[in-house]
Amino acid sequence: MNRRTAMTRALLLGCAALTPTLALAEWAPRRPVNVILPYAAGGGTDAFARAVAAAAQSEGLLDVPLVVNNRPGAGGITGATEAAGARPDGGTMMITSAGSFLLTSMLKDTPVSPLDDYEIVAQIGDLDPAILVPAGSPHQTLADLVAAMEADPGALRWAHNGVGGAHNVAGQAFLNANDLAATGVPFKGGGPTRAAVIGAQVDFAVVGIQQAAGFENELRVLGLLAPERDGIAGDVPTVAEQGFDYVEVSSPIVAFAPKGTDPETVADMQAMLEGVATSEAFAAAMRERGNVPEFLPGAEARARLEAMRDATSGVIDGLR
Amino acid sequence: MEIVGGLATVLGSPVLLGWIALAALVGMVVGAIPGLTASAAIAMLLPLTFQMEPLAALAFLYVIGKSGRYGGSIAAILFNTPGTAASTATQIDGHPLARRGLAGKAMKTATVSSVIGDYTGDILLIAFVGGIAWVALRLGPPELFGIYVAAFVVIGSVIGDSPAKGLASAALGVLLATVGFDPITGTPRLTFGVYDLTGGLGLVPLMIGVFVLGEVLTQVVRPADPPRVAEGGGARDTLTWADYRPCLPHVARSSVIGAFIGMLPGLGSAIAAFVAYGEGKRRAANPEEWGHGALEGVAAPEAANNAVSGPSMAPLLTLGIPGSTIGAILVGVFLVHGIQIGPTLFLTNRDLVYALFAAGLVGIAMYGLMGYFGAAAVGRVIARVPARGLYPVVFLIGIVAAYAARGSLFDVWVAIGAGALGWAMRRWGLNPAAFVIAFVLTGGAEQALRQSLLLSDAGAAIFLQRPVALGFLLLGAAVLALRARGARRSLPDGRPT
Repeated sequence: MNRRTAMTRALLLGCAALTPTLALAEWAPRRPVNVILPYAAGGGTDAFARAVAAAAQSEGLLDVPLVVNNRPGAGGITGATEAAGARPDGGTMMITSAGSFLLTSMLKDTPVSPLDDYEIVAQIGDLDPAILVPAGSPHQTLADLVAAMEADPGALRWAHNGVGGAHNVAGQAFLNANDLAATGVPFKGGGPTRAAVIGAQVDFAVVGIQQAAGFENELRVLGLLAPERDGIAGDVPTVAEQGFDYVEVSSPIVAFAPKGTDPETVADMQAMLEGVATSEAFAAAMRERGNVPEFLPGAEARARLEAMRDATSGVIDGLR
Repeated sequence: MEIVGGLATVLGSPVLLGWIALAALVGMVVGAIPGLTASAAIAMLLPLTFQMEPLAALAFLYVIGKSGRYGGSIAAILFNTPGTAASTATQIDGHPLARRGLAGKAMKTATVSSVIGDYTGDILLIAFVGGIAWVALRLGPPELFGIYVAAFVVIGSVIGDSPAKGLASAALGVLLATVGFDPITGTPRLTFGVYDLTGGLGLVPLMIGVFVLGEVLTQVVRPADPPRVAEGGGARDTLTWADYRPCLPHVARSSVIGAFIGMLPGLGSAIAAFVAYGEGKRRAANPEEWGHGALEGVAAPEAANNAVSGPSMAPLLTLGIPGSTIGAILVGVFLVHGIQIGPTLFLTNRDLVYALFAAGLVGIAMYGLMGYFGAAAVGRVIARVPARGLYPVVFLIGIVAAYAARGSLFDVWVAIGAGALGWAMRRWGLNPAAFVIAFVLTGGAEQALRQSLLLSDAGAAIFLQRPVALGFLLLGAAVLALRARGARRSLPDGRPT
């Protein structure tokens, strides 16, 4: 950005402060914005990013389209590395599952880390983990399940979608916090994990609460590993309500910009995403997937990730 | 009989029929281009479909998947380079036929067999969708491991004259498949600190390298004239009932094999084609002709790889578990259009699901007609193009396809490295087919084995406690024993099988 546009921006900012109808003028990319999505097309995070792109367009929040660019590989690190190395000119951002990204960077020797190599734009959604059992399980409540684990430590099997993933860490942290032991079995992705519970291959699973939508007759959700009840599955009690300890580990969907992106540009990106997250079109698209938008500004999203890092470092050491 | 309503919806909508016809054509073309797979094409076309009506979008991608699996046979027969992983088995007998000037006969056999296999799979899907899902749910990691072990036995059927070289090729495939994160602990293996390798080697670039680039390099290096596809045409190169009748039992058996493998998540059409080829060769009346241009050797894998398509939709729609790459992409289309996959799908979107099935039935007929009357003509034109003009184009398309599948430059390097490997394997008589089968099977087999051991209270004894798993393990062992006995019996006359 040259000096002149910087001055224009300052001027516009001044005007905007005086004008009640604040327009998104400062960040005005002339070409379509490249939204790097470090997972394959068709996954949950992909669906999220595409809903963001669709809402940004239908609500007229940006003059150019957001183009979702799938860069899968190495568990999301390939795309994340590419995003970190992109030109910080507001032409590139990344939408990813930040919980899994953070935990992967803590567990493994990754070239990039979410807290050090990016500007955090905003959180737009959150996937809270839940404890699920098959519909035919003898464990009617979380207390039953905990009692079974206490009776025979390590004998129960639980499914999750990959070591170091947010749900794996959330489940293990729950076990640790309540002095429980069970044997974790990783499956590849949320769908196969859910199928393993429905087919009673395992005793329970820890997956995103949204995975239970549409499977009410096949499985039972015993508790939500989150501070508050879910916006959609509101009848599921949290584990704290049932008197158990937990560590807050979720998988927030967060937008990142390459490090060095101008703070005003980041602020405008944040405003655009806030517009998306509060739009009815986006909320409707999320509801259909058993999800709700949960917007947090960049600073708060960063604080949440830092809190998650501090809370899970012990669990991560145990998984290594 | 919701399928009648579905057919009425599809046949009554010219727009939908147009999309299905376009999908049949696009699938056939991308399938026929060496290295450009149907799943890569679907991944590239996916964003376009987000603007379409849900039914049109789903039908378009579903039919591309079907006709792409078929289209792969065209390149396998004409160029000895499979258009898709699923048609790797087809080239073993398809290309020798083309060399004898019977490309048209081979392609018509592939078309008819694909159509029969595809209809078998779809009819089973429509009739038993609930039952298929029920079965898929009851097959846990131990059962899947048993099935993988039974499938590994098919490597024996493509090993050819040298068991030692065949097993060495398979071992190399196993080794390369273990590159990347360990599926259970997430520890990087054989990555040598290269971060791009942590996700493992991609099947698409590896296959493009070994089969497409390897074949081109072989043609370049070979001093003599490359073997040409003899010009076809004429009365000899048509398909008659007398030609096809011996294929029918193979097509029937292969369709059932394909349909069964289709309902199991994660195995996919390449494995179905190889298992069907192996079983076909084992039971054939003329096993000595297999590998040298037997029509049955084209019919068996082609029927099987298309029979996968229908049944793989059952675990996808009712449980949200994709049975193939194409299935995984279709899940995304449902998500993007806000349709919740799961057991309730048949309550909430019943009409849509049956219209999609109907679109599949119509799509099969369309690619069947296009293929039967079109592919041979296309083949005749291509056969006239001199090899020196054709191979550079094939090489370039291979490189582009390796990049396009995941938009990764690293994959291009993988393809080039695999190309050198493919050339070296041909040069020293190693077996590329055994290598690729082993590569495809290893990942799933390892994961299933290690999940089983985690689930087990008694170590490996879990495979004895689960009857279905034990059954498949015994089946694999029995086939292996039969084959070893057959091989020993044929040794005295100097013709080991």
